Amino acid sequence: MNRRFRSLAVILVALVVLCIPGLLWRSQQRAHVQADYRSAMAPVFLVPGSSATQNRFNALVAELNRETPHQHSLLRVEVMTDGTLKYTGSIRPTDKQPIIVVGFENHRDGYETIQKQAKWFTIAFKALQQTYHFNHFSAMGHSNGGLVLTIFLEDDVAQTKAHADRLMTIASPFNLEESDQNVDTPLFKQLSQHRKHLPKSVTVYSIAGSEGYSGDGIVPFDSVNRGKLIFQGQVKSFTQMTVTGANANHADLPENQQIVGLIRQDLLKMTGFNS
Amino acid sequence: MAERISRVGCNLIGLEIKFRRNRQVSAIYRALRLIFPVILVGTLADFVNQTWLQRSGYYYQTLHVAKWAFQLHLLRQYLGLLSAGTLGLTAILMAFAVSFYLVAPATPLVRDRLMAGVIAIIALKSLNVNRQSVLSNHSVQWLSSNLGLSGILVGVLVGLLVGNGYRWLINHQDPEHEHLEQTVGVVGLWLVVLTGLGFIWVSTQTVSLNAALLTLARWPFQLPHSLGTLLGFGLLTGTCQWLGILGPIASVGGQSIEAAQNLAAVLNHSGWQVPHPITLHTVVDVYATSGGPGMVLALLLAIFLVRHNSAQRRMGWYCLVPTLGNFNAPLLMGLPVIFSPLLFTPFILAPLVCITLSWAALVLHWVPAVAYPLANGTPGILQAFLGTGGNWGALVLAVAELVISTAIYYPFVKWAGIAEEAVNHESKIS
Repeated sequence: MNRRFRSLAVILVALVVLCIPGLLWRSQQRAHVQADYRSAMAPVFLVPGSSATQNRFNALVAELNRETPHQHSLLRVEVMTDGTLKYTGSIRPTDKQPIIVVGFENHRDGYETIQKQAKWFTIAFKALQQTYHFNHFSAMGHSNGGLVLTIFLEDDVAQTKAHADRLMTIASPFNLEESDQNVDTPLFKQLSQHRKHLPKSVTVYSIAGSEGYSGDGIVPFDSVNRGKLIFQGQVKSFTQMTVTGANANHADLPENQQIVGLIRQDLLKMTGFNS
Repeated sequence: MAERISRVGCNLIGLEIKFRRNRQVSAIYRALRLIFPVILVGTLADFVNQTWLQRSGYYYQTLHVAKWAFQLHLLRQYLGLLSAGTLGLTAILMAFAVSFYLVAPATPLVRDRLMAGVIAIIALKSLNVNRQSVLSNHSVQWLSSNLGLSGILVGVLVGLLVGNGYRWLINHQDPEHEHLEQTVGVVGLWLVVLTGLGFIWVSTQTVSLNAALLTLARWPFQLPHSLGTLLGFGLLTGTCQWLGILGPIASVGGQSIEAAQNLAAVLNHSGWQVPHPITLHTVVDVYATSGGPGMVLALLLAIFLVRHNSAQRRMGWYCLVPTLGNFNAPLLMGLPVIFSPLLFTPFILAPLVCITLSWAALVLHWVPAVAYPLANGTPGILQAFLGTGGNWGALVLAVAELVISTAIYYPFVKWAGIAEEAVNHESKIS
């Protein structure tokens, strides 16, 4: 064989050899792509605390939509006690970061109710996922809403195959209203026991309000502070912040300007090609 | 030469030789030759980093590098530094070398030649500074982002400007005078003038010179995707690459909204229904970039098909590994394709032919559109196959296009070899 064809043959053989890993890998390709895939839409779930409805965050969303280039559309979902869903509002088809508020018909306080609400949230989440085909999301919960979301992340998010990007809890009482630091409530024990199941890739922010030095008027500071015992070391990163000053009491926190700023900056920031 | 050369070939060879004899062009080519080893090392480091060590790399994914590699993180950082320190400074090296080689024939003094290069570096940097830091009188911050492979053209332009000016000043020196005095005078004058130019640019323009050129080159991304715009894009990318704006323009397509929607459609539904079959990504990125933009893999094959061209072949062997991973910079600069009038034609024509063929195949539904993301460094012919989730028709199309492109390159590469030999022969005699 002539010398020029010999070199050419070497290169062509090299080319084919380099193709072999790709050809062998092809059977795993779909699973691989699927694992790395992130839908263009990544909704932000807001969950209100006890005795608040799915309309709890209307003012907050209006505030968030002020002075922002991307308007977030707002869908409100109410989960009835029998597991059926009631929708108000809508998601704009081009919106990549719609806000979905999930409220519950039964919004009383208490350990039992929080457990039930977490299951109801899972029902709503799965239904919305079916409709909108998202596979990653962020979430914010005020007060008990943060507990609902934490239980969801520990127990149910894995079966939905969705990736949690960011979680923000605002004045969430991980030890309920227990003011004695030496007492662990059953809820705290549960959250602490299941903490190993938290997604490793989620970024968590816990915000506490402070009126005086012991709490925000309703939730003791120590109860919020216990978030670190649940999240620290389990998730990608855990940041705890305390907000003081005007509107720092428990019920006013979601409209507190500092917290609105934190929601904008930390929860709604976009990643990847969405930005 | 035993083979007959057609009339067109003779004319083109003549043109190439005439072009290469030009003082300015010869300085550019010598500069490219000078920095070739640096570029090759940098590209190899980048190649290993991008394809073996990064999550988006072909070998990383297919050979499961994460499972067996040792100190992956450390290696990434090290290779990142190596490629940034070499490729990242291409524009500076070019400015220095072009200016140096322009002044070289005019003076026997090494000092003058080096000084011309040094001034070119300073001039280039005064165009690449943080505008705010200059205008607000804070300590000046230098920019480094536009000095990579995409900055070759700017490096060449600055080198030409400074080198020619310096050469003119040398030629108009008074031989009676003390030499040091004159050098100080020349250098001082040039620095004041060039920094002035840089300052005017910075205070009137909001972007650096390189960034301005890049923005200009990216405009077709706003256009809808018809055959016309695809060809226009191919033409523009090719011309930019030929002018020495290498690098980032071509790889933007995979990040677009259309690509995301295509992928979503394929993953969420069974079957292969793609909402946007004709996009820059599905046509240009996949089918017209075997071996990197310009179908450079075909150029490589053509080099080894031609006889009697040992210089080209040697260059081909050097550039083999990066070219097989679609890193085209070493071959474009080493051969060189950049600024060569002879190789401009196939460099533009081969991708345009591939774009047209792939467009036709997609419109006629002979092959499905690519929806899966392409891993960096996937061998050129395999991109379409893997992007479509294993469609054999797409593989056949890619191979056919490689063969056609090689055929397009072949005569031009042959002529380029003859021209190269003639130019080298001349310079040996003189």
